[in-house]
Amino acid sequence: MLQTNLSFHRITKMKGRQRRFRIHPISQSVGFMFLFVITVLFFLSAGKGDAGEKITIGEVEDVVLMPWRVKLPARIDTGATTSSLDARDLKVKNNMAEFKLPKKYGGLQLRLPVVGWLEVRSADFKEKRPVVEIMFCLGPKLIHTQVTLNDRSTVRYPLIIGRNVLKDNFVVDCMHSHCLPPSCPEVPPQ
Amino acid sequence: MDVMFIPMLAMLSLLVLGTANAEEKITLGAVEDVILLPWGVRLPARIDTGAAKSSLDARELVIQDGMAEFKLPQEFGGVQLRLPIIEWKHIRSPDGRQQRPVVELELCIGSKRIRSKVNLTDRSMVKYPLILGRNFLRKNFVVDVKRRMTAPPRCPDIP
Repeated sequence: MLQTNLSFHRITKMKGRQRRFRIHPISQSVGFMFLFVITVLFFLSAGKGDAGEKITIGEVEDVVLMPWRVKLPARIDTGATTSSLDARDLKVKNNMAEFKLPKKYGGLQLRLPVVGWLEVRSADFKEKRPVVEIMFCLGPKLIHTQVTLNDRSTVRYPLIIGRNVLKDNFVVDCMHSHCLPPSCPEVPPQ
Repeated sequence: MDVMFIPMLAMLSLLVLGTANAEEKITLGAVEDVILLPWGVRLPARIDTGAAKSSLDARELVIQDGMAEFKLPQEFGGVQLRLPIIEWKHIRSPDGRQQRPVVELELCIGSKRIRSKVNLTDRSMVKYPLILGRNFLRKNFVVDVKRRMTAPPRCPDIP
């Protein structure tokens, strides 16, 4: 584009002054256009790159627990170091955690190997909880992660998604909730 | 010339719109420094989408005639504060219920001065003296926990 402008300019120069003055403003505006296109493209690509990297989720999102396909609402919690699952009637025997999901979400009985123990602290308590590995679908991502197990019957959400999951893929916007329904290829549409 | 102007104007407006959009919400990390106003006390705050309300570490809390009197933790200067209680809040946590006094605070985070309600409780067991919850975050912020201390307080008129 620039090159054609220049050659245009040169030709008009050779043809004399009058001609040159008539063409020159147009080639100038073409030059400006070119600059504008470049700036706009630059801004657009910068914005897009930022948004494309991380997925924005709300303060509460539905997830699908795999492979059992149990749908649970999850509190997205940037204050929690690790994620945590509501485990009712929890028993740990021979390094296996046996528990039920809350009745409200089907009450499924699960049995998972304990991969560790974690000390959990908050403003008013301190306790050790067993850690298991689970898989769930959050938005378009299938996430394989560790969660601590405890009885969460006094609180509202059966799953807390903490910083261990959010760190790599997500940005949280509390203005929204349920803005990203589970859409992993492994989960059939509902 | 006139024909050229139209796409140029269109593109200019697109550009302006694009940048305005990007400025809408400030991204905070998992922990950010804030300044309590008017005392100028700088505190690290946990940015917590799991907390419905913000909460401040109040030591030696005494309630008298609708006023809350308390000290900030020694670590952060131990300033004695006295603020009117605007309401009482039920707090739900995994092990039960609790009532806490709520006061209004002004603080500077990033380039914003914000007045917000915080409840008072002894937080000596936990790491951060201030929790900023969803009541604070909802309007102006998004949270990216990969970051930390990336929006230092720099409000105009604050040294």
